[in-house]
Amino acid sequence: MPRKFTPYLFVLPLIAFIVVFTYIPILTSLNLSVREWDFLSPDKPFVGFENYRLLLDSHEFWNSLRVTAIFAFVSVPIRLVLALLIASFLVRETLSARILRGALFLPFVTSTVSIAVIFSWVFSTDYGMANALLRAIGGEKVPWLQDPAIALWVLILVNTWKQLGYDVIIYIAGLQAISNELYDAAAVDGGGRLHVFRRVTVPLVMPTTYFLLVISVIEAFQIFTIVNVMTHGGPAGATDMLVNMLYRTGFTLFDIGKGSALAVLLFAILITLAWIKARVIGRKVHYEA
Amino acid sequence: MTPKLRTALALSLSTLCATTASAQAEVTVQFWHSFSKGNEKALEQIITNFEAANPDIKIDADFIGNYNDIVTKLQAAIPANRAPDAVIMEVTRYGLFADRGVLADLTGYLDADPLKEQLFDFARKVGVYNGKNYIIPFNSSTPVLYYNKDILTRAGFTEEPALKTYDDVLKVARQITEKLGSEGISGVAAPGQFARWGLVMDNDSNLIDPDSNEVLLDAPNTIEAYQWMASLVHEHKVASPDGVTEEDNGRDAFWAGKVGIMFNSTGNYTQSRKALGDKLAVRPMPCNKVCSVPIGGAGIGILSSAKQEVKDAAYKFISFAASAESNAIWFAGTGYMPINKGAARQPAAAEALKTQPGIDVAIEQLEFAHGRPRPPVVTWMRSSEYDQWQAMALGQRDVAETLKAFATSTRNESQRLSN
Repeated sequence: MPRKFTPYLFVLPLIAFIVVFTYIPILTSLNLSVREWDFLSPDKPFVGFENYRLLLDSHEFWNSLRVTAIFAFVSVPIRLVLALLIASFLVRETLSARILRGALFLPFVTSTVSIAVIFSWVFSTDYGMANALLRAIGGEKVPWLQDPAIALWVLILVNTWKQLGYDVIIYIAGLQAISNELYDAAAVDGGGRLHVFRRVTVPLVMPTTYFLLVISVIEAFQIFTIVNVMTHGGPAGATDMLVNMLYRTGFTLFDIGKGSALAVLLFAILITLAWIKARVIGRKVHYEA
Repeated sequence: MTPKLRTALALSLSTLCATTASAQAEVTVQFWHSFSKGNEKALEQIITNFEAANPDIKIDADFIGNYNDIVTKLQAAIPANRAPDAVIMEVTRYGLFADRGVLADLTGYLDADPLKEQLFDFARKVGVYNGKNYIIPFNSSTPVLYYNKDILTRAGFTEEPALKTYDDVLKVARQITEKLGSEGISGVAAPGQFARWGLVMDNDSNLIDPDSNEVLLDAPNTIEAYQWMASLVHEHKVASPDGVTEEDNGRDAFWAGKVGIMFNSTGNYTQSRKALGDKLAVRPMPCNKVCSVPIGGAGIGILSSAKQEVKDAAYKFISFAASAESNAIWFAGTGYMPINKGAARQPAAAEALKTQPGIDVAIEQLEFAHGRPRPPVVTWMRSSEYDQWQAMALGQRDVAETLKAFATSTRNESQRLSN
């Protein structure tokens, strides 16, 4: 075999893996999205863009898109701001900082299902700890997971608590890459702490912010486990995120064609968002000090 | 090689060959079920007895989740060629699978089996879809009314109150909530889906007409029944909303002594008794306009994709599980109704009837128990009903409007599935 093929042989297993587990499923979804199928029938008749039309005409889809967008655009900024602030305090290599980093990272490596089940108990209206605390201080019980105006915020809180540790660790890595000379120079120039943070830290940590932004938005649009365990998309669709709707449509309502069409739309939405982020924010990111 | 070593090697080889031969002769039936906690123990006992009587058949039983989980996982497993050989299917949800040819027609097996004559009529009928048998009954149930005697006494009921109509239940639930609400005790658990169907039938209606398969979700009596059920949560506040968003919460709270009344399947009898002991009372469902309860539970079906020898072995197991002896073990261990006419004469069942007060209530209800329709759309309707119920019970949507819209979408879906 000619030596020029040797490098390709080294990457062949990875390429095969990606083809089998990424590209073939994407193409299969595209194919199923233009067919009518319930998983059980041997036939999958071609229906053109009917599944897309039904989705775009449905109140459910637009509600899910709205709820997911609110979730993403509220939770991601909160996570990033909090993470950067916490990382700024924990960047020092002290024992307490290391212990706190570990504590913050713990929820990220804990099973999401376990977290969701435990928080379901915490926010249970009649039997939960949150309302027990409220009542102990003289407050009224709150229907955390039954009130459409509150349930989404509870999910944002739980998801932020779970993901924050990851964001903090990534930010700490980004902050540690900033040269101390820049801080020294800023100090010599008489910059205050806030001024240095705004003028030195924030711009230089921009590549990390951009990376976390891209990852967090994708993660927010794909959130499923917490929703499925804590609210099943309820009450009255108030937390019915896109992936939850996709699961329900495909796997509990037997409409795999419409479920696949929704998956394709979600893919298109994420690609569009990534493109917008690259155009709007990506240009402002500088990878060298 | 020493003679001792040679003998040891020869013995090892012969043992290995014998083991391999026996393993090859064994037929394994992969069986998916939905029984956990105490009910799983009773099932394990039946499987152990079966394997002892049939050493050439192994039952590989897996707990998959509740009935909804089984439907979801089965549907994903079929195209992946990873479906089991036998599966528990809820009585209203198997129609779609029978309709699509996923379940094997068991009519020939049952016709040749003396079991057919031993089954109660109601039990035999639950396995019939379009004139053919697709499942053999295993765990049949009706909803019943459970209450906690201690809670009622503490709420001021010196004698057992009437619990025959919606008004009776509401009155008792109100008094419990008023007297004991400060201790975190609710009057009644928000009814789960099986109980909701039962309460609609008590109000002289149904969700789907059993004869014509016509959708009755928007029938006046169905709407009235849902209005009453929803009012328990958002208007009268005698049922916790926690049991609306997660149906098991209501049952768990009843077991924890935090709820006075619960409508639930007789399949929860044993666990309820374990949790509450002598405080537990079991009564028939209310008869608001008529006395009528749905027959629920599930039966075991065999997948068409299983090999013939596996199908034969699976049927042998299914028939054994529905036999008088096994059914008595199941009845005594779980509270599910006897399906075999001979079960009550078995020592295990006779002992249960004597020592477990209330276990016979579901049997007494049989005179007004009715099978439910199972056209393919029922699976979709039941999966979708949870969201509708949440919206109504939490007071977010008007009951009549919601049910009218739901009826329309169910009719549309029925049309889609029949195309």
